[in-house]
Amino acid sequence: MNAVWPIATVVVKELYRRKDFYVLFVLTALITLLMGSVTFFHDDRIARYLKELCLLLIWVSTLVIAITATARQLPAEREQRTILPLLAKPVSRGEVVVGKFLGCWLACGVALVVFYLFFGVVSATREHAWPLTNYFQALWLQWCMLAIVVAMSLAGSLVFAAPSSNATIVFLVASAILLVGRHLNTVALTLPEPAQTLVYALYFALPHLELFDLRDLLVHDWAPIAWWAWAAATLYALAYTWVFLLVAWLSFRRRPLV
Amino acid sequence: MPSPYLVLVFLLTVCVSLATWLQPHYLAWGGSRTGDGGLLATLLGESRRLFAAQFFFKADAYFHSGFYPTIFDNQIVEKELHMSEESEAARTPRPPEAEARTTQWSPGEDYGFLGSPKDWLDRFSRNFFPSRHTHLEQKSEAREILPWLRLSTWLDPHRVESYTVAAFWLRTRLGRPELAAQLLHEGWRANPDSYEILLALGRIDEENRHDPVRAHNLYALALRKWHRQQDGNAEPDLYTYRELLGHLVLVDEKQGDWAEAVQYLTLLKKISPNPAAIQRQIDEARAKLTPAPGPAPGPP
Amino acid sequence: MDPILNIDNLRVEYRNRELGQGVTVALADLSLRVNAGEVFGFLGPNGAGKTTTIQVLLGFVQPTRGSAQLFGVDVREPTARQRLGYLPELTYYYKFLSAEELLRFYARLFRLARGEAERRIDAILKLVELESARRRPIKTYSKGMQQRVGLAQALINNPDLLILDEPTSGLDPLGRMKVREIIDRLRGEGKTVFFSSHELGEVETACDRVAILHQGQLKVVGPVAALVREHQASLEQVFLRMIGYPPTPTPA
Repeated sequence: MNAVWPIATVVVKELYRRKDFYVLFVLTALITLLMGSVTFFHDDRIARYLKELCLLLIWVSTLVIAITATARQLPAEREQRTILPLLAKPVSRGEVVVGKFLGCWLACGVALVVFYLFFGVVSATREHAWPLTNYFQALWLQWCMLAIVVAMSLAGSLVFAAPSSNATIVFLVASAILLVGRHLNTVALTLPEPAQTLVYALYFALPHLELFDLRDLLVHDWAPIAWWAWAAATLYALAYTWVFLLVAWLSFRRRPLV
Repeated sequence: MPSPYLVLVFLLTVCVSLATWLQPHYLAWGGSRTGDGGLLATLLGESRRLFAAQFFFKADAYFHSGFYPTIFDNQIVEKELHMSEESEAARTPRPPEAEARTTQWSPGEDYGFLGSPKDWLDRFSRNFFPSRHTHLEQKSEAREILPWLRLSTWLDPHRVESYTVAAFWLRTRLGRPELAAQLLHEGWRANPDSYEILLALGRIDEENRHDPVRAHNLYALALRKWHRQQDGNAEPDLYTYRELLGHLVLVDEKQGDWAEAVQYLTLLKKISPNPAAIQRQIDEARAKLTPAPGPAPGPP
Repeated sequence: MDPILNIDNLRVEYRNRELGQGVTVALADLSLRVNAGEVFGFLGPNGAGKTTTIQVLLGFVQPTRGSAQLFGVDVREPTARQRLGYLPELTYYYKFLSAEELLRFYARLFRLARGEAERRIDAILKLVELESARRRPIKTYSKGMQQRVGLAQALINNPDLLILDEPTSGLDPLGRMKVREIIDRLRGEGKTVFFSSHELGEVETACDRVAILHQGQLKVVGPVAALVREHQASLEQVFLRMIGYPPTPTPA
């Protein structure tokens, strides 16, 4: 797997030479600062609404960055035929898949660090506190969630013809999981058989991205989560990431490139 | 073919002329903006009421530090909120119905609306979001619910609850009764028939400004409005009615107007679930109403 | 002597997209050997299967049947390409990178040590005359410069076998000259060159042996001089005869 790291570094370079990240960061910062400039009842110590808004923007922005950046990786390589000189080197297709994944994931990680620094500064100006453990746990788990999303986009880019359709589908699926994933068991219990079994099976099969969402805990200053739960969630993300990467590799390994 | 710059200048001139011509018409036109005002309200149209309701519930979610049911969770929780009820309990005699409302989400229960975990994934997932019923404990935390209530009032000025709940928190936890009064006056202008806002204003006069006379006038006005709106209703708002009568009795007692206090207590007895207790209060008031036999007052 | 490039009964079929159209045979049982130190020309008209053969050699296309080896290693193994250089017909490179960054990236894929990689990058950029533009993004290069980047990347690992797919078809005169120079130099160094081309004159002067492919089938293979002598015609005439041009008039 020696080729993985060089491929990943080229992906990171590409993503940071494009403008997407900067646009989304500036947009997030602008909206947050604009909302922060509104004072409610002449009280400038109100922080939670601003934290919630900032985190929501961070979540949306990083999801957009992760999905759009990943969805175009392999299709662009094939469309622009840069995959040909790449695979003419001693590089396996598995290394290309993992390298692309790693590059996109690392780029998302760098973006997350920048976003969370901004969040920390905004939060500290109001609350005068740096709950670093909470920030670390939230950032890490969000990054783990993005690993699943990036792997899902990569697999999707080999299934769906156009990067735009892949990006839209992955974005919708990720949003749907985040919104209703946790409640599918409740929904299943209200259904008759065989729908109940099907929905329950779906509930257990799909990657529960909402597990990685610590926004409410962060906004409302709850204590950090238990470290065993943090570690278990990390393993859960790792497992699903590999599942999607395996799907991507199986789909890519024998596919004609031209 | 004219120069593109000339065309640009011409178009800009037309735009500016149109804008200056339309401005007076825009100002003269009331339309659906009357009374509601605000760019946000104009932009969002009628959907702003949905947003206002959503922000109001958001405030309650903040009151519970993020522990809040979604549409999928057990709907045993009434959508009527208890943001303003907890602290009130210490001050006002509460009807049993109101007590019931706060006990449905018992802080003693571990799981609240979530119920016990249905499976291992459900149990595991509860580590990652607020899954315990709590209320804002610290005084300073109370301010956190205010932005959502303020947004709610901006988006739907006819949503009376947003004013009364926000005013309650400003007055009680944050110690800013003047701001609360200012907000309530704003709400009153948008809802001149609201007896709830008058009740809240009366309480500021009674409890913060210590002006029982003005409080009495506001409560009395609120009571008249209540009768005007609720008499004949199949399900009148007895909760507010009880509160109004209770506060009228309190200010009458403060002012020593025992006769009127007896009148209000008599009304209260009719709807109280515990009429015996009210009867005892009536008897006590009547005793104060009848002057005790003593030495006749001498000439000044 | 073991051949560097060994193709054995290679068959490649493409399933047609239209229903009921069956399959198209791109290569029909092709067998070919290229020895170390040879400059081998791979000739054929458009659609003969030249590019498909190269794609199989590079692992881009899976053969339906048969096998191909580079340096004795199955072409499906990435290690088969460790000593290989490849110049595609057109330029396909990451345009957001500079020439230097691109070459460094490819050097890392070949696992060249950092010092060695830097030395090779300097030397190759000098060879293809891109030294002054080495830090500019490739997207700012002219077409000729981009083609020379292609040459540079094909040589970054000092390959023992260089596969050139129509190497001069899209090049400017400077690029063509460089390709000729590089082929001569590699021949001098005892390296192997395998290239497909339409430029018969170029092939005649540069190649030791040629193969002519037509409709997926190998028509002839041998040293250029021997073919010319055997058919008593120029290479161009041999080529035209092998592909059946001009068509034989059918008896009335």
